[in-house]
Amino acid sequence: MKDILKTGLILLVISFVAAMSLALTNEVTKDKIIEQRTMANELAKKEVLPEAIRFEDITGDLAIEITENFAPIVESYVGYDNSDSIVGYVFKSRPTGFGGPMEVVTGINLNSEVTGLRVGSHQETPGLGAKGTDEAYYEQYAGKSAAEMIGVSKTVASGNDIQAITGATITSNAITVGANASIDAFHMIIEQGGVGN
Amino acid sequence: MNIKNFTNGLIKENPIFVQLLGMCPTLAVTTSAVNGIGMGLATTAVLISSNAAISILRKFIPAKVRIPAFVVIIASFVTIVGMLMEAFTPALFSALGLFIPLIVVNCIILARAESFASKNGVVASLMDGAGMGLGFTLALFVLGSVRELFGNGTIFDVSLLGANYKPALIMILPPGAFLALGILLALYNVVQIKSSK
Repeated sequence: MKDILKTGLILLVISFVAAMSLALTNEVTKDKIIEQRTMANELAKKEVLPEAIRFEDITGDLAIEITENFAPIVESYVGYDNSDSIVGYVFKSRPTGFGGPMEVVTGINLNSEVTGLRVGSHQETPGLGAKGTDEAYYEQYAGKSAAEMIGVSKTVASGNDIQAITGATITSNAITVGANASIDAFHMIIEQGGVGN
Repeated sequence: MNIKNFTNGLIKENPIFVQLLGMCPTLAVTTSAVNGIGMGLATTAVLISSNAAISILRKFIPAKVRIPAFVVIIASFVTIVGMLMEAFTPALFSALGLFIPLIVVNCIILARAESFASKNGVVASLMDGAGMGLGFTLALFVLGSVRELFGNGTIFDVSLLGANYKPALIMILPPGAFLALGILLALYNVVQIKSSK
């Protein structure tokens, strides 16, 4: 009996110290981590829509309509140039890849052209699906027409198709689902006459 | 004495080629040489620190609950390292962050805690952790290089087999991990048997 109590108490002490150090580290690092993620976020927006110099979040009813009808989109932004006119839209979507949700940021300009795509946080397999973050892969999306859907080809990319990552078709499909949802949402916004009109 | 603790892990008791420990991350991440080194070094860092922590606490932890105690200590350690890396060294985190959660399930860490650090002093445990970690890194690097060479025609993204080489894609897909590991194990044993005669 005494032995069980002593053993249990020691395990309690170890777990308590572990939990305390985790909580302390979290307290110290959480703001920093959020800051790093926001910075990466801002950078991704600029990269996918280089014509814009400033971004504003789409909020209110329009934001709700987009996330409800165009899953997996989670956030959308309007891009402005330096004379404050709209140059395009950026959509952040969270499609499901091979290892779970992945973050896909897609930019589309007013000429109905996909200006860029980036893959943010993800849990894809290193060396296979993780190649979605390589320039060789994501640059395929830039310049694709947003007038039609983007397709995925396992062999040679042609027309509005991109070439899938070898051995990671699920990842390639997921990223493309994110891009195509963005295209759909873009058309909806344009049909409604744009943001703020 | 301490030198022997260090060199043991490199060849004679190599965690992968001799002890066959940590097969899950070994097979999963060795699709390229650079992934092998990344995973290896991240594991080495955790192994050295967890060996030291377990060795310091070895007299305090009762034998009956040592396994849960080790698991709590190691998992907290890895999580803290991951949070600190994301907050303060974002560049390093984006390169190695993917491997951090995989380290928690790496049984080398637990195996060295159980079979070495819980029975030996701090310095010896540090040496053992460094040796085992570097041996693990070496093995992952060899495995990753072989798979990348045959599966992609490159090592460290440098083309070695010429433009006419048609990559055997299977080598960077999951079955290739088993093929390469099996052949490397056979070669390792041939050399060991020959040299002991």
